[in-house]
Amino acid sequence: MHSISRREFVSIAAVGVLSRQVQTPVTASDLVERIKQRSGVEWRTNTVDTFKAGDPATIVKGIAVCAMPTMDALKRAVSAGANFVITCEPTFYSRGDSASPAAGRGNAAPVADPIFNAKNEFIKSNGLVVWRFSDHWRQRKPDPLSIGLTDALGWSRQRAADDPARVTLSRVSLDTLASDIKKKLGARGGIRVVGDPRLNVQKIGLLPGTTAIQAAIALLPEVDIVVAGEVREWESVEYARDTVTAGGKKGLILLGRVVSEDPGMKVCAEWVKSVAPELRATWIPTTDPYWRPS
Amino acid sequence: MALTAGDIVARIKMNLGSPWRDNSTRDTFKFGSASTEVKGVATAMFCNFDVVQRAVEAGLNMIIPHEDTYWNDRDDVTIVSSDPAYKAKVEFMTKHNIVVFRIHDHMHSQRPDFTYVGAARALGLDSKYETAPQSHRFVVPETTLEALAADFQKRLGARAIRVVGDPKARVRRIQLGVGYATPAVNNAEVDVVVSGELQEADGNFDSPEYVLDAVSLGIPKGWIMLGHAISEEQGMLEMAQWIKSFTPEIPVQLVRVGEPFWVPR
Repeated sequence: MHSISRREFVSIAAVGVLSRQVQTPVTASDLVERIKQRSGVEWRTNTVDTFKAGDPATIVKGIAVCAMPTMDALKRAVSAGANFVITCEPTFYSRGDSASPAAGRGNAAPVADPIFNAKNEFIKSNGLVVWRFSDHWRQRKPDPLSIGLTDALGWSRQRAADDPARVTLSRVSLDTLASDIKKKLGARGGIRVVGDPRLNVQKIGLLPGTTAIQAAIALLPEVDIVVAGEVREWESVEYARDTVTAGGKKGLILLGRVVSEDPGMKVCAEWVKSVAPELRATWIPTTDPYWRPS
Repeated sequence: MALTAGDIVARIKMNLGSPWRDNSTRDTFKFGSASTEVKGVATAMFCNFDVVQRAVEAGLNMIIPHEDTYWNDRDDVTIVSSDPAYKAKVEFMTKHNIVVFRIHDHMHSQRPDFTYVGAARALGLDSKYETAPQSHRFVVPETTLEALAADFQKRLGARAIRVVGDPKARVRRIQLGVGYATPAVNNAEVDVVVSGELQEADGNFDSPEYVLDAVSLGIPKGWIMLGHAISEEQGMLEMAQWIKSFTPEIPVQLVRVGEPFWVPR
């Protein structure tokens, strides 16, 4: 049983006897404080998990949780009655997440940008507050991104009890498995595979998000294939290719970063409900950004 | 008199047209040494295990790759040295007297940069469309993003090209990038960026998300990722021809790594 704060107790106790309007108003910064306290991980000072847009003192009417806050996702958040958006990825396209364009390559002066302008305007006119939750969310144990991904793939009973990033399936060919994954995740052009399509696969290791060569080197020898979000092609892709050339019965499936994180943000939406039970929290799914020419 | 790897590197330095920078950690010997006798040269995009095997089959024992040998940019072997594929690769290279010398930084600072020359050639981006020599910006007859991407895919024989943007967007101004050097898509003078790969989020400038927002606003923008290997491999043909021009006594040829990926149905 988890402990609840006095404020939470008051909020929970109020449900059923009082209408939502007379509850203690909760601001976006109140919610972030609750998330920090309940996150289960030590909060870092150097982190991307900060407010990106809007006024943190805004009273929250509803919460939207997404992997990538595109204009389309923000519109759907507004339609769902949310004004507080929790996102895994940046709002303004770069790691710096500045609400105006960064200086260009070679420090070229930034110019007025219609896309930045429209996004800022949409956020302002709808009174949205956007907060990023990435560094700390993916640090939670057990890994919520792997839980989300295995849930979405229908592997919740096939994943290891002590590590959701390890899955054991009945034997299946890499070709069949890749098609099945593509279908279940609704992926389009972002999914790419290295290895013999006829390879028999049973043991799978997951690397959601973006990972470096060290992660692939540690995992691939232990499993038949790695299913990753995004890797550097000169690192883990060539590593997988060389492993196959060396006779290793191995493979690599790349899903794309956002596609691999998307189900983990559904898990996040569920978790946020437990942190803010008096508010509605809605998962806003993201689609594969990539397509392939026919 | 036997030609050594050191002789060939000396000729590369002499013919480069600009001073060699000894502080490059990339452009160094990665396997074998300057004293290794060379029977023939293979240029390659990656010095992967398959390339090494096919070079040996073709009687070539010096590999000049553009990218890494040991699956990390610094070619730091401590990261990989306990891996079975590393051990098998090194054993094979030792057995066949392979010497590897990488050319990356100096290839990109050379003029012209063959990676761009090769990519433009392979994509059919004719110099008559380039706004200025080496601007890498091509203004082509207006087309759709879908038709442009399909044309690139056909020319490259590629399987796993990835595109972001409205397929029906009408585009004509293309900024060509190579490898990981993806041009900024939030440039008002550019409709489409073409490159090898770039991280999907958390980059320094922009990302596919910018293009998705452009789609929502009806602004024509496109993001075409060819894959790192096929984006920069093309220019290794020009690199082979250039090395051959001052190394006439031995065979020099491109050994293609090809596209690493296939795509599921």
